[in-house]
Formats: sequence, C-alpha cells, structure tokens
Amino acid sequence: MSLRKLRRLGLEPELVDRLERHKKLSSCQDILEKIHLELLHLTNLTHSDVQKIVMTASRACAPTPTTALQMRQAGFSSGSTPFLSTSLPGLDQALHGGIPAGSVTEIAGPAGCGKTQFCIMLSVLATLPCEMGGLGGAVVYIDTESAFSAERLVEVAQGRCPQHFCSDDAFYKLTSQVYVHKTPTCTDLWNRLQCLEEELIEKRVRLVILDSVASVVRKEFDNSLRGNLSQRVKLLSKEAALLKYLAESLNIPVVVTNQITTRFNTSREGPHHDVLSGDLGAGNSAGASAAVDGGYVTAALGNTWSHSVNTRLIVQYLDDKYREVMVAKSPIAPFSSFVYTIQSSGIVLQDDETIRKWSERVATDPGLIPIKVRTMLGQGGGLVVP
Amino acid sequence: MSRHIGSYPLPPYLKSKLLAGGFSTVEDLEDVKPVELSKELKISPEEALEVLRVVQGEQKDPSSASSPDDGVKTALDMLQEEREQGCIITFCSALDELLGGGVPLTKITEFCGAPGVGKTQMGMQLAIDVQIPSAFGGLGGEAVYIDTEGSFMVQRLEDMAKAAMEHCRHIATVENNREQLEAMANFTVEHILSRIHFYRVHDWVELVALVNILPEFLQQHPKVRLVVIDSIAFPFRHDFEDLSLRTRLLNGLAQNCIRLADSHKAAVVLVNQMTTKMGHSGDGQAHLVPALGESWGHASTIRVLLFWEAGCRYARLYKSPSREEATVPYQVTVAGIRDVCIPNNMQDLSTATKEEGDSLGEHSQRKRPRVS
Repeated sequence: MSLRKLRRLGLEPELVDRLERHKKLSSCQDILEKIHLELLHLTNLTHSDVQKIVMTASRACAPTPTTALQMRQAGFSSGSTPFLSTSLPGLDQALHGGIPAGSVTEIAGPAGCGKTQFCIMLSVLATLPCEMGGLGGAVVYIDTESAFSAERLVEVAQGRCPQHFCSDDAFYKLTSQVYVHKTPTCTDLWNRLQCLEEELIEKRVRLVILDSVASVVRKEFDNSLRGNLSQRVKLLSKEAALLKYLAESLNIPVVVTNQITTRFNTSREGPHHDVLSGDLGAGNSAGASAAVDGGYVTAALGNTWSHSVNTRLIVQYLDDKYREVMVAKSPIAPFSSFVYTIQSSGIVLQDDETIRKWSERVATDPGLIPIKVRTMLGQGGGLVVP
Repeated sequence: MSRHIGSYPLPPYLKSKLLAGGFSTVEDLEDVKPVELSKELKISPEEALEVLRVVQGEQKDPSSASSPDDGVKTALDMLQEEREQGCIITFCSALDELLGGGVPLTKITEFCGAPGVGKTQMGMQLAIDVQIPSAFGGLGGEAVYIDTEGSFMVQRLEDMAKAAMEHCRHIATVENNREQLEAMANFTVEHILSRIHFYRVHDWVELVALVNILPEFLQQHPKVRLVVIDSIAFPFRHDFEDLSLRTRLLNGLAQNCIRLADSHKAAVVLVNQMTTKMGHSGDGQAHLVPALGESWGHASTIRVLLFWEAGCRYARLYKSPSREEATVPYQVTVAGIRDVCIPNNMQDLSTATKEEGDSLGEHSQRKRPRVS
C-alpha cells in the first residue's frame, strides 16, 4: 500500500503532474518520508496545502481499525480456524488450539531431535479436511537441508490417521498437495520467498514450512567479520518481515525451524560463537559437556531474530528415548513443557507419569534457554545438563 | 490612527516623561520593547509594560493579540492536573509503585525487553486496564492498539479480559458497593473487546501514515486514553539503508506521539526490542541495549526495561523524570501481568513454584492486587 501512486488519491491532476515530473514524488512513501520543510521547499506550496497532501497520502496508506470484538467474531464466522491443531492434546491446550495462523512459529532444537519430524507431521495434518481438524489445503515445504522425505510423510500419515489413509486415493491426494522446494543457498531462498505470494494463492496453500531458516545463512555468513553479522541480521529481518506479511495477509500459519548455537558468557570470541549443531555431538564424543568454557547451548541466529518470531517452541533431548518440547515464547501461552517420543506415526506425547519424572522447569529468556543435546551418538546416556 | 499619547488613561508623570522622550503618538511606541522604553525614559520596567499595554492594547484587535499567557501553565496548575489525571494500573502493584501509580496519561512510556519477556502481554493488559470503570478508581477509557509484529492474539486478550472482569466483580461483591455493582453490568468481556481499536501495520510507511491521521480518529473517539504501539522497533529494523532517514522518521514519529499524548490526555505506550551492542573499549564485550539507537532514548519520557534473571521476570525503571530508578519482580500468568507472591518460608516457596506449573490451562484464582 505504501507504494500507492499519488495519481490515485484524487489530488488535482495538475499538482500530481508537477510533483512527478520535477520532484520525483510519485508515491505515498515519497511524501511520507520527507519532513514538512523539505516538502515546502520541493513543492513551492503553502503550508496548509502541503499539510493537505500529507494527510491525503496518510489516509490512503493507513490501515483501517477493527475492534477486538469484531476480530473475535470474524474468527468465529469465517469458518477457518485460527489455529492448526498439532494433534498433541497438551500442546494444543497450552497454545489455545495449536500453531497460530497469521503469525510465525519457530521450532528450535539440536540436530536429530525431531524438528523435521514436527514439520512433516504438521504437513500431514494441514492437508486433512477441516472436519478432521486439519486445514484442508495444500502445503508449501521449503527445504534448505534436503531433509524432507516423502516416504516418511506417507508413513506418518498412515500412523496418524489409519482410517483416513486407507486408500491409494487418499495418499495421492496427500502427496500431490505437499509442494517441496529445495533452496540450498540464501539467494535461492530469498528468490523463492519473494514469489511465494502468487503460489500460495494459486494453489490454495494453508501452511508454509521453512526447514530450516538457520542452515543457509549459517553456511554462507562467516561471523568473524563484523560486517557479515549485520548483513546476516538484515537478511533475516527481511525474511521475517516477508514471512509475517504472508502469514498475516493470507491468514495461514508459517512454521520455521532453527538450529542451536553455543553461547559464551564471557565472550572472548564475540557475542555468540556459532557452532554447527552436528559438531557438538561428534566432536565431544567423550561425554564432555557443551557447557565447558562457561558456554551453553541455545537457539541460533541471535537476539534480533528471536524478536522476529511470534511463537518459539524449543525441542531438546532428555535421554536417548525421551525428548521434550517447550513453549518458550508465545503471546498466548505461559511457559510449559511436554515430553514426547518419535515413533512411526511422528511425534507422540507421553503421559503425565513420564512427564513427572522430569523435574519442572521455570521460565526464562527464550533467547537464552539452555538446550540439552546428546553428546554420545548412538550409545544413549551421556547427556549434557548445562 | 495617530492618536495622541495625551488622550490615553495614563498617570500625568508618565505622560510627561513620554512626551519629553519624544513619544507623542501611538506610532512612536510601535515595536518598542518594555525594557527599551524603561531605560530610555528612566522608568521601571513594570511602568513601561503598563504604558505599552494601555497604548497597544487599545490599538490591537483583542482576538488576534497573542498574550504571553497563552500556552503557559504554572506548576501549580500542572500539579492539580497531574493529580486529577490518574494512571493506568498494570495489575502488578510493585510495578505500579515503581511507576508512581501506573502508566501516566499525557506521557510516553516505553517498555523495552528481550523476546518473550512479556512486552506484548503488558500492552494487552494495559489496553484492558484503561477500561476499568471509574467506580473502581479506573479511567473508564478506550484503547488504540497498533500491532506491527502480528503478536496480538484476541484469544489471549479474552482470557485476560475475563480475569480482569472477575476480579472487579469480586471486589464489588465483597464490598457490596451499589455503584460498583451497577458498573459491573456494563463491564463485560464483549464490552472490553469492543473498546479496543486495533490496527495491523505492515511497514513503516503505514505506521507513519497512521500516526499522522490518529488525531482525527481520537477526535471521533474522545474516550481513548491509551495508544499502544507494539512494537516501534520492528518496522524500522529492516530495509533501512539510509540511517539518517530512519532517525528523521523516528523523530517525527516521536514528536507526533508527544502531541497526541498531550492534546488528547492519553498515555502513549511504545514497545521496543533489544539489540546486541559491542562494547566501546574494544574488549569484545557485548551488551543488550534497547534498539533504535542512542537518540531514540530521548523520545520517551519514561523507560522501563523488562528482563529475565534466574527464572523470574523483572522490570527496571531506566529513565523517569519523577521516580527513582529501581527494580521490581513481576510475573505473567494466565490472567495477565501480576505480582510475584513473596514466599515467607520454604513451604510457600514450594507451593509458589507448583502454582507456576499449575497455572497452565486453568484460570488460576490466585490473589490479585487490588484495583482501587
């Protein structure tokens, strides 16, 4: 809306002509980024005329208000649920119904902890018809790590809803509705995101998944140079703004996954020295904890990115079998955590008995939550408790 | 119009001094300043001012005359106004105390904080609390909520509104106050939700435009006492190559907010993010500071920093013209922003932590701070 042409605002054509031709003022943004004095100077008009132009441009750009009551009623009447159920009762209850539509939800966690499993499961759920708690639409799955597996998608679908996925027809419908894009570089990803709007409308997409937002930027930006860091923050902010815009304007949930990083309290090597998640497990195979050197493991991509996501879920290891998902940041839910295992049907929450085994955690800064990782691959145990 | 000085109601000794100094007609006194006149005629400045008032006051059209008293208030007037104005309470008595009774009207208050610390919750809580009926000592106002981040959840707001309503009903029944019970008939969740005017803003142009036309909206809705911008930082943190443009836009925005707050007797609450900043001394130390740079720090009158420490949320008053810097704990429950119950002994501590875990998914009927 900000690039709306002055021509369409109903100002006098003569004035618009003059502004465009001589002063290069053609859109509302051009007007609103100037201060009054500049405009007076540029247009050679009186103060009240300039005021009039600014107000006309403002009126054209400003959004219209709704009351919270109207928003609630719109949510009821439109039929489209404001949430995508995760089919995990405890988590759904905490989140008021599941992954919120119209905002960006992040799943952060160490490698192999179930982030991609979460995404695949959500893809299945989103394609389910509305009567079954799904969104009845297509899914765009942007895969930067080449981790998506169609076979796993089918397996999860079968495990989740055996009665619905009993015919080849149902599987055909499922698999033809999940559009997977492979974007191995930052440029690919950014280009893909920019032309996503058309695709989302055309294919009636009800869920966008980006798995993962961290891997491409962390591969391509070397943080030891200061300029790179600000470039990275800028790119991520742009991506976040675009994803938010898509989520909001089409009222669909957007899910992104994020990796983990090691943060050092006494920063000798910069604010957060990134370690690729995989290295931690392999490198410290002797069971040495990731908490050495006063550091601890937490969600990657830094503080600005943490602000950009609306909801943050963190997954972590408890032992070789059990994992835990925490609601770390949410405008709607208090801090809470659930124990789950990964089975053939995807993520399965554990009963209260198992949950109670693991001590209660208190809430803390979601940007700084320590995340437990597995330190000995394949042998179980050897957990890091920061 | 060259009226003679002698025809004005002035004491004779002043008239003679004026005439002796060469001032015989009104034109002679035009554009003469009081001090200048007093020096020239060797009269006191008060006498000179009186002469000019008498002479020019007759000449000028009284409607166009700009008396120096226009727009000036004495501190006494202001004290009275400030006392009458009232504040928007936060439902956390420690935080109210910190701010001197709550978030003040006609001022800009900025809440900065790390992600997930409860900034949006604070904004939503205030949007509800500004509506508390006057029978409970509230403002009975309305709120404008400008969301730039997409974190505004009407379902969450509903929970908090319900809790606020139940709390007020509880007070009314306990005190059996007729006026309060009558006020409760109107103070329903629907009523609260219908008095929160919500704008979703997607970029900085929309935000600048909206703040430009907001005075018109407030004129049509004179009961609005609170404008929340959540957050001011997000639209300005990407797509800005030109930092001087950003500073200029932010300054303009701040100016408009101040004008808005003052002319409509509204509180303006800005939510700001935090950013990582390298230390100056080259020690490589990184600090978390409020975003948008140093000069933005001047924009808000009151600055509150929200942060985590050892699993508890704290609010620190960072900048205030009237209150001492201090730090208080608070918590975010299902019901909204609340006090942290201070444990008396270990038993209380264990129940307190248990409560924190239990608060999920159920409406906790915990002690809440009194409204009035």
